[in-house]
Amino acid sequence: MITRNLYRITQTAFAAGLLLLASCNKDIEDTEILAPQAPAALDEDAANWAPVDASVMTIEKITGIVENSTPKVFNPPADVSSDAYKTELAAIKDLQKNLTKEQRGVIEYWSGGGVLRWNQIMRGMVARFNLPPEPNAVGAYPAPDAENPFSDPMFPFANPPYAARAYSYVSVAQYEALKAAWHYMYQYNRPAPYKNDSEIKALMPETDLPAYPSPDAVMSGVSVEMLKLLFPVAVEEITKKAAEQRNAALWSGKATASDIAAGLALGKSVANLFIARARGDGMGAAGGNKALWQALVDSCTKRGELAWKSLETPARPPMLPFFGLRKDANKGTKLWSMTDADLVQCRPVPPPFTASAEMKEETEEVKWYSKNLTRERLAIVHKWADGAGTYTPPGHWNDIGAEYIRDAHYSEVRAARAFALINMTLHDAAVACWDTKFYYFNPRPSQMDPSIKTGTGVPNFPAFTSGHSTFSGSAATVLGYLFPQQAQYFLLQATEASYSRMYGAIHYRSDVEMGLKHGQTIGGFTINFATTDGAD
Amino acid sequence: MKKIYLILIGLLPALSFAQNLTDGLMMSSKKLCTGLLYTHDQWTDYWQGEKKRDNGNIGHVTTQSVAWMGTYGITDKVNVIAMLPYVKTKASAGTLHGMEGIQDLSVGVKYNFFRHKSDKNAFNTFAVINFSTPLSDYTPDFFPLSIGTQTTNLQYRLTAHFKVQQGWFVNGSGGYTWRSNTTLDRPAYFDGNEQYNTDEVKMPNVFDVFVSAGYHKGALQAELNYIQQNTLGGADIRKQDMPFVSNRMNYIKAGVLVMYYLPKPQGLAVRGAVNRTLTGRNVGESTTFTAGALYTINFNKKNL
Repeated sequence: MITRNLYRITQTAFAAGLLLLASCNKDIEDTEILAPQAPAALDEDAANWAPVDASVMTIEKITGIVENSTPKVFNPPADVSSDAYKTELAAIKDLQKNLTKEQRGVIEYWSGGGVLRWNQIMRGMVARFNLPPEPNAVGAYPAPDAENPFSDPMFPFANPPYAARAYSYVSVAQYEALKAAWHYMYQYNRPAPYKNDSEIKALMPETDLPAYPSPDAVMSGVSVEMLKLLFPVAVEEITKKAAEQRNAALWSGKATASDIAAGLALGKSVANLFIARARGDGMGAAGGNKALWQALVDSCTKRGELAWKSLETPARPPMLPFFGLRKDANKGTKLWSMTDADLVQCRPVPPPFTASAEMKEETEEVKWYSKNLTRERLAIVHKWADGAGTYTPPGHWNDIGAEYIRDAHYSEVRAARAFALINMTLHDAAVACWDTKFYYFNPRPSQMDPSIKTGTGVPNFPAFTSGHSTFSGSAATVLGYLFPQQAQYFLLQATEASYSRMYGAIHYRSDVEMGLKHGQTIGGFTINFATTDGAD
Repeated sequence: MKKIYLILIGLLPALSFAQNLTDGLMMSSKKLCTGLLYTHDQWTDYWQGEKKRDNGNIGHVTTQSVAWMGTYGITDKVNVIAMLPYVKTKASAGTLHGMEGIQDLSVGVKYNFFRHKSDKNAFNTFAVINFSTPLSDYTPDFFPLSIGTQTTNLQYRLTAHFKVQQGWFVNGSGGYTWRSNTTLDRPAYFDGNEQYNTDEVKMPNVFDVFVSAGYHKGALQAELNYIQQNTLGGADIRKQDMPFVSNRMNYIKAGVLVMYYLPKPQGLAVRGAVNRTLTGRNVGESTTFTAGALYTINFNKKNL
């Protein structure tokens, strides 16, 4: 009897287990939700805000290009009472009658904010391209080639300096393009289609923003051109997203075909100016060559120091050693808010001599963390690891900033300014930190003591100072300026990010502490620009 | 019932071989088989997607574990099988820190729902349901050195076992494992296909097949086996990237298993096994040695 009951229980348990499985849903939710939102303010005066780099673009310069090119980049808009414009409105009405579920999805997606979406897209793109080249059969590492991006290894290897620069170019170009858009939008004051025709529905949150040229199309044009330069292999995805953004503006009753055409042309014209800057900013020489790598070793050894060496097998050339200041040519990658002289002046004082007792002590401290890698500290290490295959530390700070920018209900142009400021400082931090790293060429803890095991991969460049600390110090400072009520939180996050590198046993205390301070100083230069640009 | 069992396993009813979720053997009522198994698994080459390679930054990856296991016969037809391993990983080259800790507790019920026997042979089928869940907070975000996936799993199996009186047998088993999602310590990740802005990772389910054939009579069980696991989804490891917890981890392994009851003390058995990965995807080409000792305790008063 008992036995029979037992079999029944067993059978019931099997059936219940199956039912339980059927009810389980494994779908995951994106935690960065961008819900449709209207801006809290229109920022009508945005065209007057100071240019980021006046040698690249000012409003005078872009209006000169738009109006003096033959043919013109775009012409003044047709009158809202013209037949041409009415035909455009009729086309929107037709489109709105037959919107598919997929098209509505596209509208919904872009309603969350164009600048925020592009930032999100770019973070995914950086993660996709953030893979170091694989060693070939003879143990060498072929360098990615911008002229041959689809080959193996594909271009780019979106490592932290590359990523910092990429985020900054896209963000700054978007910002300047939107300022140019604001200039013409308020010059022509052509209302959105849904303001001109009551039969056209506003399928995105309604605003009083003028529509010519369409700011969404401006963003699509500038983003597509910048991203094609920086991530040429992703051309298909980039082009598709950009087209979607323009379609969303059209289908939602926000812009007519001519609003969009003018915006697209303006966005591309602005992109051309920043593409020219990027082509000549020194990045092309940042990788160096064998002779230059050897010169770094020799000059370090000559100072009586132990030179950094790659801990990878086979040994890998250092990551972008001349992204910072190049000692031979006395120039590095162009900065946004600092001069080369600022960079030299702010360069951290030297780390302890590799042969000193102080260095020994620091190495022993790292070893202690290696041996005592608690689960709690490992979680901090992994939270901030942001290594290969991720959006990098600059991406992480964009991720952190995105939700504050979203919740501030900024206009597109102000959101673009916020991302531009964050990414300008992250880029400057990358240049300044790489300058420091290759100026001192200091070995990693595991090189000093091979028994030191690490909680994350050892980055393939010198230790002093910590890149994570510098990035985090700079971004937290600028975010603290943008969102003063959260300044303490950003600083705590930056400090945690910084120490995570020591907990993970890949950096000494002086790397992380000096890096964090250096980053905060760099953030100050960006704030100097922000306080005087007329936006606040 | 007792008579059938005698025919099934031969002359020594005290010897019980049921260990696994995948085999066609049962503990008889009120007997507990328990012991420790040590496993040593090592690989040098691994499959990055479908491409086989080695990696100078990890060298050989060694996973050692000591597992407690126990099988108890609630009745002759229903067994409970439990297992709890302590796992330790290490890479011989590079700097990455090895991981160690208590892994997942697994508790399963094996139900011998069909029996057919004659003088010459016996055929049995089994249904198994197995639940496993992590008992420690180990990280799933450090492959290949993570000690597990940090998922709660529910596995279903069906097993068929055919044996002739002389002791030769064949055994086939198929399992489907539902895995819960897992959580990382970071706010966003790229899974090999796309970027996710969340710490939660969707984990694909797993299908596996186990086939064995061998000899089982008296104090000896010896078999050759074939194991195939297919993960039903997940991305490949990208070129020169670290593996990721939700990767499509597939493999085919072949192996030998021997279990032998020592003449004395009564009830003590030793067990040894070797497995070799023949082919795989996003896993190491591992060789696995298992050795252990198991002791059977009879709680059946009648037999004492």
